[in-house]
Amino acid sequence: MNNVYSVTQVNLYIKNMFIRDYTLNNIYVKGEVSNCKYHTSGHIYFTLKDGQGQMACVMFAGQRNGLKFQMKEGQSVIALGSISVYERDGKYQLYAKEIILDGSGYLYEKYEQLKKSLEQEGLFDSSHKRPIPSFAKKVGIVTARTGAALQDIINISNRRNPYVQLILYPAQVQGEGAAATVVKGIKALDKLGVDTIIVGRGGGSIEDLWAFNEEMVARAIYECKTPVISAVGHETDTTIADFVSDLRAPTPSAAAELAVYDIKKYNADIETLNRTLNYQMQKKIIGVRNQVKQLSMKLVYSSPIYQVRQKRQNLMDMEQKLSNLIEAIITRKRHQLEIYAEKLEGLSPLKKLSKGYALVVNSNNEVMNRLERAKVGEMLQISVTDGDVIARVEELIKKERKL
Amino acid sequence: MKTQEKQNKTLETSFEELQEIIKKLENEEISLEDSFKLYTDGIELLKYCNNSIDKVEKQLIILGENKDSDEL
Repeated sequence: MNNVYSVTQVNLYIKNMFIRDYTLNNIYVKGEVSNCKYHTSGHIYFTLKDGQGQMACVMFAGQRNGLKFQMKEGQSVIALGSISVYERDGKYQLYAKEIILDGSGYLYEKYEQLKKSLEQEGLFDSSHKRPIPSFAKKVGIVTARTGAALQDIINISNRRNPYVQLILYPAQVQGEGAAATVVKGIKALDKLGVDTIIVGRGGGSIEDLWAFNEEMVARAIYECKTPVISAVGHETDTTIADFVSDLRAPTPSAAAELAVYDIKKYNADIETLNRTLNYQMQKKIIGVRNQVKQLSMKLVYSSPIYQVRQKRQNLMDMEQKLSNLIEAIITRKRHQLEIYAEKLEGLSPLKKLSKGYALVVNSNNEVMNRLERAKVGEMLQISVTDGDVIARVEELIKKERKL
Repeated sequence: MKTQEKQNKTLETSFEELQEIIKKLENEEISLEDSFKLYTDGIELLKYCNNSIDKVEKQLIILGENKDSDEL
């Protein structure tokens, strides 16, 4: 009995064989779902079976984004994953990374291929994406005439802004030839001239949404000169149209919200702008008025009227001073004059006459103060206080007088 | 503003211009003459914004089905 191995050793050995196998590490397994259990931990445990056999499968919570639908009993699915050994139970199982509904498997591959090639071609480049106009007046819609999507768009649009014109191009959104009508619709609305185009439809299976994964639709959106909002299915459905559109809306309702501006908000904005404008202008005017007031006050104080008043005051002061001075001078002079008059009065010859002195002049009217100025017999005039005496010279008597 | 310019102006640019005008008006340094000019421009823009919205409720237009776009 050589080479005895423990169970664990054997399990590990087998596990390594699985791990080394290239095929088993990345394998698509097709089968019908049974015993499907969504565990509270987020893991999904299920069995895949076909006519002859079955295989235990698990999808861990971490891989859950690889499953885009609710997996149910009896569904035919394709699971991508790796097959490995669960050592505790000595069982192998499929660790699924991605699960798709069978039948859509082919479409899915096509989708991936087209997505890749269009991406490489640059159809998804953000540089090509146009901004959605904030104030569209006309919004074109490419969708089914009788779909819930159209109703949702109309409802949202009317609620937000009934003044925006909606123009529907009724397109076939699923089935044979759907893509062609969608393309026609995009082109027609682009040509007609609208501000924004919404392209979309309500939710459905991958087959239902397929038209929006077709290359011709992608190219039509890319070439469309009008900004395009894609709105296909639900939040979780992502189509090629969503990648190439200028804006992806998660749902048709959301697309309407993005395309149609809210008139109430617009009015409120306008009102605010108006108020701000008026407020700023009033503020400015009040400011300027205050400035004017201050300046005018300054101006008043520096006005020539003030200067004139000031000068006039000075002038009056000076006049007063001048007249005072001149009066003083006049008084002094008058006083002096009085003194002179008094002095003069003292010197008056009339006063001497009153004391008995008289003025004697000869016939030549010369003062007769020496003997030689008169001859005997000459008439002399003697002036006294109240008149003149005419006298004749009788004799000239010489006398020595000591003066 | 010339009529030509007005017609080509979108609401977006009008709003931008209004914001710009308000920003300038908020500047204390601006002269009264300039502010009057800005204010009248602003009021004009507001009027333009209001007038450029056609406030008539619109019915959905459905384009003819199965017709070529040429006929639109």
